[in-house]
Amino acid sequence: MISPRLRHSGALGRSDRLLGLALVTPAVILLVALVAWPLVRIFHDSLFALRLTDQAPGLFIGLENFLYALEDRDVRRAMWVTLGLTLITVPGALVLGLLLALAGNINFRWRWPIRLALLLPWVLPMSFTGMIFAWFFNSDYGVINDLLRRMGYQPVAFLLSPGWAFFSVVVAVTWKTSSFVALILLPGLQTIPQSLYEAANLEGASRWQRFCHVTLPLLIPAIVVALIFRTLSAVQTFDIPYAMTQGGPGQATQTLAMLVNTVSMEYLDIGYGSSLAVLLFLMSLIISLPYLVHLRRSV
Amino acid sequence: MSNTQKTRQFFSNVFASKALLWLIVALVLINGLFPVMWIFLTSLKTEIELTATPITWLPQQASLVNYQQAFSEQPLLLFLGNSLAIAFLSALLALVISIGAAYAFARLALPKAGLLLVGLIALAMCPPATLQVPLFEMMRSLGLLNTWLALILPNAVLSLPVCILVLVAFFKSLPESLEHAAMLDGCSRLSALWRIVLPLSLPGVITAGTLAFVNAWDEFLLALVLNAAPENRTLPVGILFYQGEFTFPWPLISAALIVGIVPLVVLIAFSQQRLVGNLTAGGMKG
Repeated sequence: MISPRLRHSGALGRSDRLLGLALVTPAVILLVALVAWPLVRIFHDSLFALRLTDQAPGLFIGLENFLYALEDRDVRRAMWVTLGLTLITVPGALVLGLLLALAGNINFRWRWPIRLALLLPWVLPMSFTGMIFAWFFNSDYGVINDLLRRMGYQPVAFLLSPGWAFFSVVVAVTWKTSSFVALILLPGLQTIPQSLYEAANLEGASRWQRFCHVTLPLLIPAIVVALIFRTLSAVQTFDIPYAMTQGGPGQATQTLAMLVNTVSMEYLDIGYGSSLAVLLFLMSLIISLPYLVHLRRSV
Repeated sequence: MSNTQKTRQFFSNVFASKALLWLIVALVLINGLFPVMWIFLTSLKTEIELTATPITWLPQQASLVNYQQAFSEQPLLLFLGNSLAIAFLSALLALVISIGAAYAFARLALPKAGLLLVGLIALAMCPPATLQVPLFEMMRSLGLLNTWLALILPNAVLSLPVCILVLVAFFKSLPESLEHAAMLDGCSRLSALWRIVLPLSLPGVITAGTLAFVNAWDEFLLALVLNAAPENRTLPVGILFYQGEFTFPWPLISAALIVGIVPLVVLIAFSQQRLVGNLTAGGMKG
């Protein structure tokens, strides 16, 4: 922000403040029109019995959609899938991402292949990742089963049994998102002053001790940011299971975001779909709150 | 020496060795590149070779016939063009809007600036799945369904906060005296932004633009809902249509995936050095 001295010196006149408002306005208008207004709409629509095919306005039913959602087995299952995916893939991606970041931080002559290996999973679209891993885990021609056979194990019909399909989606999500975590942690690693390691070295700290007492504590802020963004995107998981398993077998890998899509765009039940969208929004709001509070303090 | 000390000693010796370094590098390369490599190898195999057991790792007779067929069976070139245009225009729109907003936040005392910035970011962290129905109805009533614009607008908006955060950090890192000097020479604020600030923060602009491009290239759910017409499909949605009801032509799908990955590799080659360092400035989506 602007320093108090400048503010009082008159360097920032009224015209500057007006220019500032004018420059922010397009962003505000677009966000209000395309995000805030839709949010108002889902809160509104969630109180109605409303179908996309209806011409007439829907019937006001209060919180009945939400009460129904509490008892809906599909909703409960989708909640568990979403929660399970979040609780497994977020720590998983954090550990794998930390390892990748540490490896990426090694001073190595061939940086370009390593950078490519770190960046490629991150830029790869989620839907591509889903398809690639569906092929990986294919029962007959997948490379994973080929490896299992070569090691003398029976092949597994990964995408055909509920438990294994969930496992396969977990692997794909963890792989795809660990590279994002690594990219957040890597600059954090690079800002740790070398002198701290040298000091720890003089005191006879082992590599492991240096990692625990120097690297990890100084990396905490970057880890927190990575965790919040990762958790937020895990709650919204849609593309990977959609492209990989279509939510199946049965509904074993159907997340809440997928259920919102199915209920709204396939069953065309806008009222009920909106109430599920409200639940999804509230979940992601709760997760992003710590980050927003942190951001509010730092600006 | 106690047992735990011995173990630690052993591990620190191992970690110090060159062999382990090579092992780590190899694991990182395999982890990052093998899945895409595997799809590439698949794309060179024929359907007959693909259904042979045990499976072959390297294609016996590598051929590009799948690529030819991938382009002829579905309008892959059209999907590619749609994706490129939509991602590029989304990034451009996001950049134009966020450069102005970020400059206002960095330099021009906005009332309640902190609250405003956090509010904008809070909005854009909203899951696309919650917005799909209202956006569908909005685009339908505006007559924008199945147009590029229906995707460009939300893509740009959802990238705004990341772009704004990256650019605010960049603008703040430049000394304000530069603009004051330019303004003493008769420049207005805006022309100082255009002539002095922007050229100096080019790395930040490239980073923000890349982030917005990647977000738009990746976007799938809204593309599925708002843009289902064949002639406007983006790549992630278009690739779904190679599947028949009971058929799954993996060599064709693999070829199409590789075609969709090539622009990303070009993007990495172009901006990797800036990207790795500048990404955290704004935080981003995973």
